[in-house]
Amino acid sequence: MAQRNKIEHEGVTRRDFLKGLGTGVLGSVVIPASPLVKSVKAASPDVEELAGTVSIQITVNGKVHKVSVEPRTTLLSVLREQLQVTGPKPVCDRGECGACTVLLNGKPVNACMVLAVDAENANIVTAEGLAEGGELTEVQQAFVEKDGLMCGFCTPGFVISATALIKEKGTKLTLADVKAGLAGNLCRCGTYPKVFEAVLTAARRIEEKGGGV
Amino acid sequence: MNNFKMLRPENFKEYSIAQKTVSGSKLPFAGGTDALDLLKERILQPDYVVNLKRMADLRGIQEEKNHVRIGATTTIAELAGHPVIREKFPGLQQAAESIATPQIRNMGTVGGNLAQRPRCWYFRGETYHCLKKGGGMCYAYVGLNKYHAILGGGPCFIVHPSDLAPMLIALNATVHLLNAEGKRRKLALKDFFQLPAQNLFSETVLQEGEIITHVDVPIPQAGNKNLYIKFKERETADFALVSVALSLNMRGNTVKSGQVVLGGVAPVPWVVKEAESLLNGARLTEALAEKVAQAVVQRAQPLSQNKYKILLTQNIIKRAFRLITEA
Amino acid sequence: MSSWKPLDKMTILSHYYPRIEGPEKVSGIARYTYDLQLPGMLYGGILTSNVAAGKIVKVDTTRAKQVPGVRVVLTDIHPTGTIRFAGEEIAAVAATTPQALEEALRNISVEIEKNAFVVSTEDAMKPTAPRVFADRENVRKPRVREEGDVEDAFRKADVVVEAEFRTATQVHACLEVHGSVVHWEGDELIIYDSTQAVHGVRKDVASFLDISPRKVRTVCVHMGGGFGSKLRGGRYTAIAAKLAKAANAPVKLMLTRRQDFESVGNRPDSIQKIKIGATKDGRLIAMDAVSYGSGGISGGARVRLPHVYKIPNWRYVHHDVYTNAGPARPFRAPGSPQAAFSMDQLMDMVAEKLNMDPLELRLKNDPNPTRQKEWRLGAQKIGWQNRNRKPGSDAGPVKRGIGMAASVWMTGGRDTKAMLRIYPDGHVEVRCGTQDIGTGTRTYVASVTAEELGIPLKKVIPLIGDSDYPYSGASGGSTTAPSVAPAIKNTADKAREALTELISDKLGVDADEIQWKNNSIRVQNKTLSWEEACAFIEDEPIEVHGKWTEGLSSAGVAGVQFAQVAVDTETGQIQVERVVAVHDCGLILNRLTTESQINGGIIQGISYALLEERWMDPTTGTMVNANFQNYKIVGSRETPEIEVILYDEAERGVIGIGEPPTIPTAGAIANAVYNAIGVRLFTLPMTPDRVLEALSQQRS
Ligand SMILES: Cc1cc2nc3c(=O)[nH]c(=O)nc-3n(C[C@@H](O)[C@@H](O)[C@H](O)COP(=O)(O)OP(=O)(O)OC[C@H]3O[C@@H](n4cnc5c(N)ncnc54)[C@H](O)[C@@H]3O)c2cc1C
Ligand code: SF4
Ligand code: FES
Ligand code: FES
Repeated sequence: MAQRNKIEHEGVTRRDFLKGLGTGVLGSVVIPASPLVKSVKAASPDVEELAGTVSIQITVNGKVHKVSVEPRTTLLSVLREQLQVTGPKPVCDRGECGACTVLLNGKPVNACMVLAVDAENANIVTAEGLAEGGELTEVQQAFVEKDGLMCGFCTPGFVISATALIKEKGTKLTLADVKAGLAGNLCRCGTYPKVFEAVLTAARRIEEKGGGV
Repeated sequence: MNNFKMLRPENFKEYSIAQKTVSGSKLPFAGGTDALDLLKERILQPDYVVNLKRMADLRGIQEEKNHVRIGATTTIAELAGHPVIREKFPGLQQAAESIATPQIRNMGTVGGNLAQRPRCWYFRGETYHCLKKGGGMCYAYVGLNKYHAILGGGPCFIVHPSDLAPMLIALNATVHLLNAEGKRRKLALKDFFQLPAQNLFSETVLQEGEIITHVDVPIPQAGNKNLYIKFKERETADFALVSVALSLNMRGNTVKSGQVVLGGVAPVPWVVKEAESLLNGARLTEALAEKVAQAVVQRAQPLSQNKYKILLTQNIIKRAFRLITEA
Repeated sequence: MSSWKPLDKMTILSHYYPRIEGPEKVSGIARYTYDLQLPGMLYGGILTSNVAAGKIVKVDTTRAKQVPGVRVVLTDIHPTGTIRFAGEEIAAVAATTPQALEEALRNISVEIEKNAFVVSTEDAMKPTAPRVFADRENVRKPRVREEGDVEDAFRKADVVVEAEFRTATQVHACLEVHGSVVHWEGDELIIYDSTQAVHGVRKDVASFLDISPRKVRTVCVHMGGGFGSKLRGGRYTAIAAKLAKAANAPVKLMLTRRQDFESVGNRPDSIQKIKIGATKDGRLIAMDAVSYGSGGISGGARVRLPHVYKIPNWRYVHHDVYTNAGPARPFRAPGSPQAAFSMDQLMDMVAEKLNMDPLELRLKNDPNPTRQKEWRLGAQKIGWQNRNRKPGSDAGPVKRGIGMAASVWMTGGRDTKAMLRIYPDGHVEVRCGTQDIGTGTRTYVASVTAEELGIPLKKVIPLIGDSDYPYSGASGGSTTAPSVAPAIKNTADKAREALTELISDKLGVDADEIQWKNNSIRVQNKTLSWEEACAFIEDEPIEVHGKWTEGLSSAGVAGVQFAQVAVDTETGQIQVERVVAVHDCGLILNRLTTESQINGGIIQGISYALLEERWMDPTTGTMVNANFQNYKIVGSRETPEIEVILYDEAERGVIGIGEPPTIPTAGAIANAVYNAIGVRLFTLPMTPDRVLEALSQQRS
């Protein structure tokens, strides 16, 4: 379901703009949203340059968004601050804890370690986007049932990693597979045993149903 | 992070144009898993980030006649999951899988792994203006150095953090570079790294504007066995306290030739030079492992808090030999 | 005195059921303080000192104020201007974006006249050490506690064992950093806070700002972990309030991860020198203990000695030591894991000297009847009889061992109030000014109500986490469940009485002719369902107030843990393979979430035992590992198989179980390590370097 919406290509890419305009000004693609915007000269006619604030398109949980970002803006900050998608949590901001884990084109990554411009036209799925029609997925349901959460701050990240694990490795999982698949997620409350139980239960149920994650 | 600009070349030609025509400091950027850390801590504040991800020439793994070519922006996960790697270089697969977390492996690249900067906690902290950052002292030398070098250190005592490098060196990999002028060169990966005594400010021979394009790993001869073992303080995910990359060309129980390269103990992936003469023609026994281990630690010069690494290194080397014998 | 209904009549409590906010949390829509965005909200942040000691001479904000997007820069936020640890607040900024905030903070230049500092406890104890407070010595006056005649008892002892133990400073490292979103409505302040105490924050922040608590409201719907570090109002909240006032806009101020590590609490380190004397037949008769420990610029480093065992003659002298480091805050069972680490190891040392089974020694000296049963039960579950009887005797480099340790916790319930409304459609709303810190409080506020009224859980809407709700204390000291559950029950009982009265009024029957069955009401030979009964309520919902009452809770829990470890003698790595935990928990409100609590305590205990250590740089006085890469906490692969045995004692009512399970873990692991390798580790954390070091010392 993550792949549901095809990304629409912008008619003209910034690249074409740059090439067409030679050393022209990026003006038309710079969205003057923040006071930090600088209109920038492309330094070279042949290489795409991003500066100041640029507009990109990303698909988050099936919805296409246009957002203005700086080259340094992280995907996590776009999701949280601009789109109010706050399932991915900021904890370490260094790729160490996994609380910000999202699926980027189907693969789990740390949203705090991805630049938004690198997620341009990508398909992002967060914990908010897993459930279809408001119904929890098997993984989510099992987390609730088995109590794979306490304070819950790490939980959206765990749910994404677990979902990705079953997608990638299938439903015949050993405990060691689960531990390996969740090695990028830290939980300070110590939910791990119940999380393992939840993931193994979800995998078993998905297998029984012969369905997808 | 400073408000850097970004360049996104799509091929070698554009890369050179970017380097030649755009003035200002530039930081190559692939998966960003290391670069973002340095940028966020303001260890680096480049004018430009040169994003390598759109350069098709840098991507992918190809099997050639005598070697396998690994593009610089191949992700660690792609490397670990590639059938050729699994088949020919189990050690490389083990090294790749030992790295970081599933998430980081999906983003981090091979080139970035080789060119990543050290993890010394002083180097990574903005407030410590240490030798490596142009300051006047090595904080680790006088301070907290549990994770630092026991070999090859001075005046800076970092350990090289890469897990791929030791294994790739043991497999005699060659690294291919492209410089700012568009010129190419290649060198043995072991010569890619340099000690602080040679160059305090860069762990590699990469020049300003020079990037890794790919790594060639020769397909091992029949009878080759290779493996990588990494010992982490925290098993779930961690950098190596000590790691050993081992590649032995065997005839029966006799070693024809081989390489032992260590991670986590020195500012560069530590090629055990003594191993060559010890290994050639020797029988694969515990005594041999013991000799290699001894040779390594004889040269060790521990700091105030990392003496344990000496014993650990010996034991991990011996374990590697034991495992490769069983394999 | 009221009482709970018998266990066999309970349909929800004492069962397994999932927490009610689960669906929100697993789908990422639960909003935490960090997630809030109010209209017009600014991003606030604090510039903290990277100098460990000194005097603020000058703060220049000229350049900071010029950064586009900056609204307010405050420089008067440090109370004295004297810096005593790296991490103290110097200036604060509010800006329109996080980027502008960062830029502005970086553009504040601070001149600090540096003073000499000391960050290690041992160094601070030296007479020549720089003083943390000019007017006081670093080593504070000893606190002495003594019982019996210690000297005489040691003379009578047949065996004496003595050792020095060290434990490292542990940091709470909650995944959600400390922080608040604040918002002024006229002269009233609304605080959304990541807290363990909505009422406490109201009080503390009001006092920081010198305004009436009446003008402050604190809200905390979900929070990302506290473990004791979020029991009080934070200075950062007051700073946020000042920024918000000056900017006339809401402000979100979350600490940085570094600040969170440095300045908002820790479990102090300890150096414990303890001597124990016992008789030939295995009776402990004497203990003499001295400890030192540093809560940085605060106290609070005392160890809870003599732990759980009965020792008739003992003396314990503790010295708090000042260092230039962030202050301590309560951390899950303050002082207790340190005590289990030392005392339970000493128990094993005594047992070895007496050639006695450590289990037997414990049974002889443990005065607690519950634990007497728990020891036996746990021993059986872990397979104590099959243990490696000669420490270190396993063949091969990886050696296994089993060890045990004890836990005790004494607090009980206290004042809590609640308000309950029954609506005509049968919905019940319960308000209580407690908060859910991941312990399942919200869920049992609902389930106690549902159980008492005999209605389904989903009919109850529990409203907590707001200081406008009836008073409840901080969620700390394992006091929450024994405080809140009785109050809710009392309130629900009153609601039933009120509904009975209403029905009796409406039908003109005597109240005692109305009988409550499990989930229905018998009156005049008719059976009314809950909904039918509630239909008698007209416009105004029934509203009742209740409070904590005697008899529904008690204080004091006992627990034991057994750990099985595998020690790799070539690498020094300790892998905890299995933990058996037996804890009594009185009346268990929810078995599922109680198990989670115990798992969590054990896992933090493993983390404390094997990994966690705050590293302070001697040259700069700063923390070098204020991040999750080098402040290492347990992850998936360090998690063992855990068997939790909930030892029911329902007749005692509700008891808190948050802290006890983290107490014995490190001690049990340390004993297991000795059993595995025959070498004792006296220092926490038991990292590979320390294990290798201990092994080499044994060899030489
Ligand atoms: C939480 C965490 C855990 C980690 N654990 C491990 C571990 O266990 N083992 C390990 O080996 N590593 C570890 N790493 C480091 C990790 O960053 C690298 O493994 C990763 O491969 C780097 O690749 P990247 O593409 O993300 O590099 P980037 O961040 O993009 O770049 C890293 C550096 O290399 C330079 N660079 C990148 N590509 C090239 C190129 N083609 N040519 C020249 N220079 C280039 C950049 O300028 C930069 O200085 C960890 C990182 C994190 C965040
Ligand atoms: S080891 Fe190197 S990087 Fe670390 S403090 Fe010393 S000089 Fe700096
Ligand atoms: S916040 Fe991104 S990994 Fe921790
Ligand atoms: S549930 Fe609290 S951090 Fe995982």
